[in-house]
Amino acid sequence: MSKHLSQDEFFTALTALFTTQKQTQKGTVLLSQKRLTYDPSQKASSPSPEQQQQQQQQDEEQEDPFLSLSTPLPPAPILIRATNAKSQEGRKEGKKVKLSTVVQPDELDAFYLRYAEVCKAGMSGLKPRDRTKRKAKEKARRKMKAQA
Amino acid sequence: MPFYEKSEDWLHHSSLLLAARPSSTRITTKYHLSPARRTPKNATPEQAAEDAKKGVRGHLVITTFDPKSGASLKYKTSKAQEVGRLVQMLGNLAGRAAGNIAGEQQQQQLKKEEGGQDVEMGEGAGAGEIGGVATPTTASAPPVSQQAGGGGKGKKKKGKR
Repeated sequence: MSKHLSQDEFFTALTALFTTQKQTQKGTVLLSQKRLTYDPSQKASSPSPEQQQQQQQQDEEQEDPFLSLSTPLPPAPILIRATNAKSQEGRKEGKKVKLSTVVQPDELDAFYLRYAEVCKAGMSGLKPRDRTKRKAKEKARRKMKAQA
Repeated sequence: MPFYEKSEDWLHHSSLLLAARPSSTRITTKYHLSPARRTPKNATPEQAAEDAKKGVRGHLVITTFDPKSGASLKYKTSKAQEVGRLVQMLGNLAGRAAGNIAGEQQQQQLKKEEGGQDVEMGEGAGAGEIGGVATPTTASAPPVSQQAGGGGKGKKKKGKR
């Protein structure tokens, strides 16, 4: 299991991921985000089946959708992952790239500003805004002026 | 597994799902790139060069998925100008998932909206919802079984479209 990267490292690696994708002109970049509730200290010893059942029950109680709506959510960090979605064969050849970072709730705004920059720069294969109509209009206007 | 036409719709429904299941819902963003025209293996170099000139074509799919209820909400685009806005939405949803204060206020607002929808769904559920989770659930009524409640939640969002 790979360790989480710092945010700076994550962005550098993500930019590299986008760049290699651009160079090969194909492939996928898969990003995911979720609330991080996993606590390594809780998993120190493997619990007995009874304990597991209890835990599950507790989890279910916590997971009650209506309960979670009525009580405010306790703050938790967000886990951000990025991979190049290589399959098992790619994994064997060491082509699979997996990155992850953890963002604290108060750092989210700053993180997402940078994230947007990196994504905008990286996703250059998408269609740019269509400006042909506006250009045609401008041309027509210029013509009108020239005639007048 | 609906694809939404508008990113705003996706955001709205994703935030509802996230409010219902904050700890299991994940949001994935898939950016896929492929050559605009696939070059056959036996193509001449000229053909290959011509195909390469066509450039690449990319698309972006954002998915909100909750493994517990199986609800999956998607939005697909190929427009570059939307990327900034979509990442902003991701940030917004991340804020809610993290339990930030701004998110809580919105959640309360959503809760009110949800209350209205529940009534609407109660009527819809009678009209042949899949899975037999036809118990109309309101925010005040205790759910019969938690899993069924969750399933209903997912289906509710599917049923909306």
